[in-house]
Amino acid sequence: MKPVSILILISVATFAILLISPYLGLNSTTNPEIQQHILRQLRIPRILFAFIAGAGLALCGMVFQAMFHNPLATPFTLGVASGASLGAALYVFLGLSFSLLGIDGATFAAFIGALIAISFVYSISRLRSGFSTETLLLTGVAISFFFSSLILFTQYMSNVTDSFRILRWLMGSLTIVGYRDVLQLLPFVTICIAVILWLSRELNLLMAGDDIALSRGVSVQKTRYLLFIITSLCVGAIVALCGPIGFIGMMVPHICRLLIGSDHRWLTPATLLFGGSFLIICDTIARLIIAPAEIPVGVITTLIGGPFFLWLLIKSRNSSSI
Amino acid sequence: MLNVKQLSVAVGNKILISEISFQLKQGDYLCVLGPNGAGKSTLLKALMGIVKTEDANITLNGQTLIQLSQKKLARHISYVPQAYGRQLNFKVADFIKMGRYPYHSAFTEWTSNDKQAMDRAITITNVSQFLSRHMQTLSGGESQRVMIAAALCQQTPLLLLDEPTCFLDPHHQVEVHQLIRHLNTQHNISIIEVSHDLNHAAQHSKHILALRNGKTLWYGRSADILQATHLQTLYDQQFVFTPHPQTGAMVALPSELVSDFL
Repeated sequence: MKPVSILILISVATFAILLISPYLGLNSTTNPEIQQHILRQLRIPRILFAFIAGAGLALCGMVFQAMFHNPLATPFTLGVASGASLGAALYVFLGLSFSLLGIDGATFAAFIGALIAISFVYSISRLRSGFSTETLLLTGVAISFFFSSLILFTQYMSNVTDSFRILRWLMGSLTIVGYRDVLQLLPFVTICIAVILWLSRELNLLMAGDDIALSRGVSVQKTRYLLFIITSLCVGAIVALCGPIGFIGMMVPHICRLLIGSDHRWLTPATLLFGGSFLIICDTIARLIIAPAEIPVGVITTLIGGPFFLWLLIKSRNSSSI
Repeated sequence: MLNVKQLSVAVGNKILISEISFQLKQGDYLCVLGPNGAGKSTLLKALMGIVKTEDANITLNGQTLIQLSQKKLARHISYVPQAYGRQLNFKVADFIKMGRYPYHSAFTEWTSNDKQAMDRAITITNVSQFLSRHMQTLSGGESQRVMIAAALCQQTPLLLLDEPTCFLDPHHQVEVHQLIRHLNTQHNISIIEVSHDLNHAAQHSKHILALRNGKTLWYGRSADILQATHLQTLYDQQFVFTPHPQTGAMVALPSELVSDFL
């Protein structure tokens, strides 16, 4: 199938998911007025929120996979998400509470954490002579563990309430009230999408390898720094609001590559739509499976993501997948 | 056009190449020879801006190379990297098309100039029959021709090739070498080729630069390299010389090691 028709199919599916999912799990015995209220004030913002967060996470994963030409390189495996989590956990632990230009302080804390993590990983991998993706991935894993234990430490030192807050948030949750959080997230993800679309050609060339990209005229270093900052912003904002929701950034771009090929002019919109829809589906499952209680959505994405990724690895062992 | 003066490259404390000088005129064909690890690839990478050099000692048509942006550089020099272990997940046509990158920004349209450059590259390298195929399905020889086509799309006066015939069977080696010579003689593209094919270099290139341990061991007209002393210091290997039965040109053959290991 041509990329256009695949993209149209994905768009139609996304549209259907956006339309249907708010009505799932709506209790029909309650008062219609309450139903309307739940729908307008809770369900719809939550679904929009899930869509934006899912799209952002999937796109950041796509960018990392292309930049390091490795399907295992994502903001999560390279420690960016752990950095963001640590930033946000410290924000809670220190009892900070501020906002700047209408943006919550936790977002800034997470952004700074993400940026520190990626600069750390990147500079360590460059200390050794030359640049190797393997060194980068290993550094990322090490940093990730290091930050995770710092988060545990923060949590251990906190009082019971804060500790529980941090724990719940670490599991990844999309429980939000009203449109405020949607508006918090929207600008970051929008900027990220715009920059990624603008850099489609550079991403295509980076995927061919740094030497080919440089010989075609891409300023690899500059492009990489710009993408680091923009993805750190995006991951920081998402992690601050809904916790580290894993596997979307690794899984969704992968599936989209199999579906639509690896030209980023098609891959970016496909990943965006697919990532958004995927998180909505996971969130709907999280809402319904033990209703009226909820499971943290991060648990669901990891439960689906883990086996799927293994299947993908086995299936694509002979042919290269990126 | 290209003037390299006392070029040194070091990564960390390790000196990869030191004080290499040579000149290249438009239409020249330079072969870089030397044992493994001599710094041949590093030299090409330094010219292409893949390995950074601090000093302003490479000039291209009077302009210092490090003053050029990477994009402008890509309009002057193109590069075909070594082929091993690369997985390219592209359609052939898309990959060749990306060679037009240095002439575009994110918002410019594809013009008739671009189409002409691309068609020309495809015709010269004769890759039109597998444009719709996937890069990973190509054989070594086909893949190398596509890599050259993509570089030609950049329409540069200078083309760098890093061991373009490595891993190819004799037939495809000849084919790729004929293509390179065609580019050089018919299209007046200057060539710098890293090679291990001593006889090819001696016969077909104009100049040879022989490197060893990052230093220039020998630099001169290609035919003059075929002397026992030069080659022995270059490769730590004895060579014997004999005229080619067909062309009569002198060729070097590694001499048999007798009894050393017995």
